[in-house]
Amino acid sequence: MENECKPSYRLISDDQIQRIHKATLEILENIGVKISNDEGLELFRVYGCKIENENIVKIPASLVEDSIEKVPKSIDIFSRNGDLAMTLENRNSYYGLGTDLVYTYDLETGKTRESVLQDVINATIIADYCENIDFLASYALPHDVPTNTMYIECFKAEVENSPKPIFFTAAGKEDLSYIIKMAETVVGDEEQLKEKPFLIHYSEPLAPLTHSYGAINKLLLCAEKQIPICYIPTVLLGASGPVTLVGGITQANAEALSGIVLHQLKSKGAPIISGWGVVPLDMKATTYCYGSPELRLTNTAFADIYHYYKIPIWSIVGTDAHVLDQQAAMEHAFGTLLAALDGANLIHDIGYLGQGLLGNPAAIVMCDEIISYVKRIMRGFEINEETLGLDIIKKVGPGGNFLAEPHTLKHFRKELWMPKYANRENPDSWKDKGSIIYEEKVIKKAKEILQQHKPLPLSKDIINKLRDLAQEAENKLLNFKFSA
Amino acid sequence: MSHEEFFEEISKAIIDLEEEKAMELAKKAIDNKMNVLEVIEKGFGIAIRRLGELWDAGEYFLPELMMGGLIVKKSIDLLLPHLDKEKDKFQLGKAVVATIEGDVHSIGKTIVATMLSAFGFQVYDLGEDVPPDKIIEEALEKEVDIIGVSSLLTTTMMGQKKLIELLKERGIRDKFKVILGGAPITKNWADECGADGYAPTAMEAVDLAKSLIGKGE
Repeated sequence: MENECKPSYRLISDDQIQRIHKATLEILENIGVKISNDEGLELFRVYGCKIENENIVKIPASLVEDSIEKVPKSIDIFSRNGDLAMTLENRNSYYGLGTDLVYTYDLETGKTRESVLQDVINATIIADYCENIDFLASYALPHDVPTNTMYIECFKAEVENSPKPIFFTAAGKEDLSYIIKMAETVVGDEEQLKEKPFLIHYSEPLAPLTHSYGAINKLLLCAEKQIPICYIPTVLLGASGPVTLVGGITQANAEALSGIVLHQLKSKGAPIISGWGVVPLDMKATTYCYGSPELRLTNTAFADIYHYYKIPIWSIVGTDAHVLDQQAAMEHAFGTLLAALDGANLIHDIGYLGQGLLGNPAAIVMCDEIISYVKRIMRGFEINEETLGLDIIKKVGPGGNFLAEPHTLKHFRKELWMPKYANRENPDSWKDKGSIIYEEKVIKKAKEILQQHKPLPLSKDIINKLRDLAQEAENKLLNFKFSA
Repeated sequence: MSHEEFFEEISKAIIDLEEEKAMELAKKAIDNKMNVLEVIEKGFGIAIRRLGELWDAGEYFLPELMMGGLIVKKSIDLLLPHLDKEKDKFQLGKAVVATIEGDVHSIGKTIVATMLSAFGFQVYDLGEDVPPDKIIEEALEKEVDIIGVSSLLTTTMMGQKKLIELLKERGIRDKFKVILGGAPITKNWADECGADGYAPTAMEAVDLAKSLIGKGE
């Protein structure tokens, strides 16, 4: 609407998108991608792709462009209860957690330790409470359950502790099948889950230009079952891809698009959300940099290109800091704001610390406020007779004040953002109230949520059925060897 | 309608920020020859305290507090002439408030004046850019308990100190409690000036004023 003033950000022009797109098609047609999976190879072969030595598949440009056309432009994601939770399309942005953090900051001891299943439950309860967290993820990688069923246990813990949609990972199609079966049990049956999915799977090809056996298995199973999937390549600049940003972007685009082709060949119109992590390898620390400015640039590039393709957009926010310090806040704030300005749809890894290795329940509380701040910016303002306020300016006149005017009372709650935890106290009042810093406030709040918040429970009957399924999975998978 | 129900209706009108309704109830109290002191204390007095509680709980914000405060002030102004000799018993105390000479910022001072009025002080708001001499003359004439002086600018803060020095020179420092306010004002500055107190927010100014005249809660 022309009366609405809302910010947005764009990095790449249409002409530049065309150039990157053509270069991507050239990679796919002339260099090709490695497909380490027979069913995947067969699908490419049947649809006319050349398969060369070492299972290198060369994909014609026309097939890539056809596949882009077939991807749904909009994906509805529901809550466990069947309420519409997210419509992933256009520039709608939704925010949620990430999966599998090895370490967790323990709120009780103040120390960092290996993550356990209770950490998944805690993150779920906090995410359930936080109004700006739209979807769940395991957050922690539990070390106290059998490795082969840990993703199943994570999913079970999440679905039992919040109705919000679940973003999840799996080891292979074997545990993924059980997770999907659990989700079907929660909503009724396979058809109902297809109609109102409340889960989004996350899986990755391998840079450079390789689709592993296990990744393809998961991709194809989700396509078949119409389970929304994020299939996201990660390119380490200068390591698993060129060091130049646009070189990394173009290679990652080839990886993402070849995944989309395969997914759509398996099941035309199946829901897929795409994205890439094109990330610097820190050339001194030799680590993956979540909080880097380059990751923001490459994410923006993704959003621009996939808005052009009209394919729903995944994004990532996190920090390289290991504690909830200034760096953690800085990198989360930049990341969240830029992802929103990009118009990314599914913004995940909210609250990630320690380069995707470390979680802190209080980080989720902090991020809830950062998102709230960003949403206020994104909402902008509206220009009309009432908001221009000439009448009230005239009424108050020079030298008066607007405090006790109905116009102020009517609009202030909508116009003015109010923080929950950020300090707005005068320095003396702040000191009088104990000089409490931000980290202390969000840690206290996280503890309070865990003590007091009671998420909407699942029925006893469903909990029992999930327990039986988890038991069956454990019996079957305990000694299973997953293939990468 | 019982008196309790009537007072409850007053509270509701104030919490809902319904000015017409509040004024109507004040008039009704006068017409029905109710005990005006009781109406002020148990009706409007309790209402403003409830408003303060909603503020403390973070449910109400400055616009609600100010509007509620103004409605209470207007209602009490309507009732006051009917108090007769009981008038002095009701008033918590008297205060002059002003923004100091050289400074034309009024918002903070006006908020404090409104809230002091609503909580039962008789307030003489002298406005902005007021010389210390003038503030002292008014304080003496109105026989106030409290002098509240605001300054937003660091360049005009000295005027607050000057006012207290003038009170001392004239040997009348003990006649008044002097409280300071304004964005740059700190406890240290208030101490350095020899003031009786300082409050960073309007609600804290009300508490401070009450405690200074021995009527704190």
